Amino acid sequence: MTVADVIGQFLSGLARAGVLFLIAAGLSFIFGVVKIVNFAHGALYMVGAFFTYSFAVTLGVPFWASVPLAAVCVAVIGLAMEVLLFRRVYGRPVADQLLLTFAMVLIIHDLVRLAYGSNLKSVPRPPLLAGAVFLGDIVFPSYYIFIILTGLAVLLGFWAFLHKTRLGKTIRAAVGNREMVACLGKPLPWLFTAAFVAGVFVDGLAGAIGAPLGGIRLGMDFDIIILAFATVIVGGFGSLPGTALAAFIIGEAYAFGIWFMPAIALSLPFIIMAAVLIVRPWGLLGRSGGGEL
Amino acid sequence: MIRSGWCTALSIAALLSMSTAMPVMAQQPPIKIGVAGDLSGAAASIGQAWADALKLGADEINASGGILGRKVALSIRDTEFKVDVGVREAKDLVLREKVNFLLGGISSGVSLATSTSVSKEYKIIQISAVGNTHRQTVELFQRYFFQVVPNTFMEGRAAAMVAAKQPWKTYYTIGYDYEFGRMQAGAFVDTIKKLRPDVKIVGQHWPPVGETDYTPYITSMLAAKPDAVYSNLFEAGLGGFVKQALPYGFFQKTKFVSFADVSSMMAVPEMPEGVLGYTRGEFYCENTPEMKKFTESFHQRYKYYPVSYAVMGYDSLYVLKRAIEKAGTIETEAVVKALEGLTYEGLRGKFTIRPLDHQADVPEYVGWTVKDPKYPFVILKDIVRVPGAQIMFTEDEVRQMRAAFTKK
Repeated sequence: MTVADVIGQFLSGLARAGVLFLIAAGLSFIFGVVKIVNFAHGALYMVGAFFTYSFAVTLGVPFWASVPLAAVCVAVIGLAMEVLLFRRVYGRPVADQLLLTFAMVLIIHDLVRLAYGSNLKSVPRPPLLAGAVFLGDIVFPSYYIFIILTGLAVLLGFWAFLHKTRLGKTIRAAVGNREMVACLGKPLPWLFTAAFVAGVFVDGLAGAIGAPLGGIRLGMDFDIIILAFATVIVGGFGSLPGTALAAFIIGEAYAFGIWFMPAIALSLPFIIMAAVLIVRPWGLLGRSGGGEL
Repeated sequence: MIRSGWCTALSIAALLSMSTAMPVMAQQPPIKIGVAGDLSGAAASIGQAWADALKLGADEINASGGILGRKVALSIRDTEFKVDVGVREAKDLVLREKVNFLLGGISSGVSLATSTSVSKEYKIIQISAVGNTHRQTVELFQRYFFQVVPNTFMEGRAAAMVAAKQPWKTYYTIGYDYEFGRMQAGAFVDTIKKLRPDVKIVGQHWPPVGETDYTPYITSMLAAKPDAVYSNLFEAGLGGFVKQALPYGFFQKTKFVSFADVSSMMAVPEMPEGVLGYTRGEFYCENTPEMKKFTESFHQRYKYYPVSYAVMGYDSLYVLKRAIEKAGTIETEAVVKALEGLTYEGLRGKFTIRPLDHQADVPEYVGWTVKDPKYPFVILKDIVRVPGAQIMFTEDEVRQMRAAFTKK
């Protein structure tokens, strides 16, 4: 074991953290604003990956155009879902929300099966990012650098949106005090729609960027969504810096867990989650009363 | 009135022509075969290929006079990669559809459950062509279950026998964290250590079946600098692994021993050349006229190549046909007797069903991956056909394992 090996393993963990953060960010943001636990988040992530396959492989659109196109298409689906269905269950008991969002998972799965079949699909990495960066003995695939940078951009983008734009500031105000914002004549339902669609857009982006990582298949969402939920819980529901921190901790714990304690590596994220729930039930950077973004 | 008169005349004419066209077969009811496999879920593409081959085989059999002069009718059910659904569907096939035989299943779990709670319970013959846990022929053996696919152990042993001939001394293993992955990796490690006492296993990884990110596994394996890595990942997992391993120069730094069924290879276009691959019997593994004919009819009808699961499914249907013909009846006990010790010349060459455990001594194929412009996936070259007899448990081993199991 050399220093280069340790750094290599650390970078593996960072890459994993980047993917986790991209998926968990939208989930956390949507919960932070509209207070709904969206089980269909993973399914939409999968749809983002399949759309990227359609654009990049079936239609031959360049990868760099396929990614935003896929994310926008997923956002449009999110818009329809929110306007037609989800906004009817805001403020309803959690069980109602779970039933509706879980029903969406089943519906989306069957639609994907109809459209794409059950066979595995593969999207090649763009030539620019197919290789790796070498630093002495350390090898780091360039695609992961792209993922980590995208993760940072999403984190900064959300922050700038919430703190620097009028819409973002109004959304933050609405999270703090819905009644007051409504009294000021702001169209509350549409603020929530905007926030939901923004969250789903990032979700679709995660699916699109995740597409060339491995295989694309029906059910690829189930495996990752559980980890994404753990990430959001550890970081604190609604806190994006918390989600980023949690993704980093879980990614690294997993990477080094696999190396040194392979027998328990799989359960490490959930051990961390349990520990956080006992010590700080509202998450590492969440707030005990919920509230502010 | 005129129209209905025409209709009657037409249908009478149709009936007449049909009855003259089918002199013998129309008189006896068809032999009903229940086909229970995972046509959806994680193994959907495997199950579909298997069922497609059965449909092709049944149509061929019916076109050439059926079995004992009777037509074959398939009742196909989707078991969804779920044990409870598998048992429910198989039961329904037996009790309501009154099928005479069962073919299935795909996932080892479903196959095993159908064997113990339907095939055994209702004394109905089940032949598995894909689901291959050895438990259904060893510890949980029951006399109505037959297996014409190499079991998990046979696959691991075959891969190790060929790998042992390479100069590689240190191995890392990576296998799925469930019965198939653990058993096969175990068989590989045991065999290679026996054949090559100088070989050292420097580490073992057990990722979960749904793993999508293999990066930390890849970097930690490379850090151990093994001569070779043995893997039993397949389909989506293998696709992700290969994609993620390539930028690290993984395949230059270490040799790779991998499951290489066409079904997975179609999903892994990036698979490099020079990997030591093993498979249960692809269309390109045998150069016989039978295999050529089967490949052509299958490809023509379904527009894709018959993967090994189709090859084995096709064999299983014809094994059943041969046994019924040998028994001269479809009566279960007589067909069981006919199957025991039956030698059959199938797509994968000649194999025999061993009476002790009903495992056919089917081969495993091991070779080196190579790109072929004819196909959109890598195939194997310099293939070693490891005969089933060399990789099966010996009869003594089967008895010992059964005794140990009963004691527990």
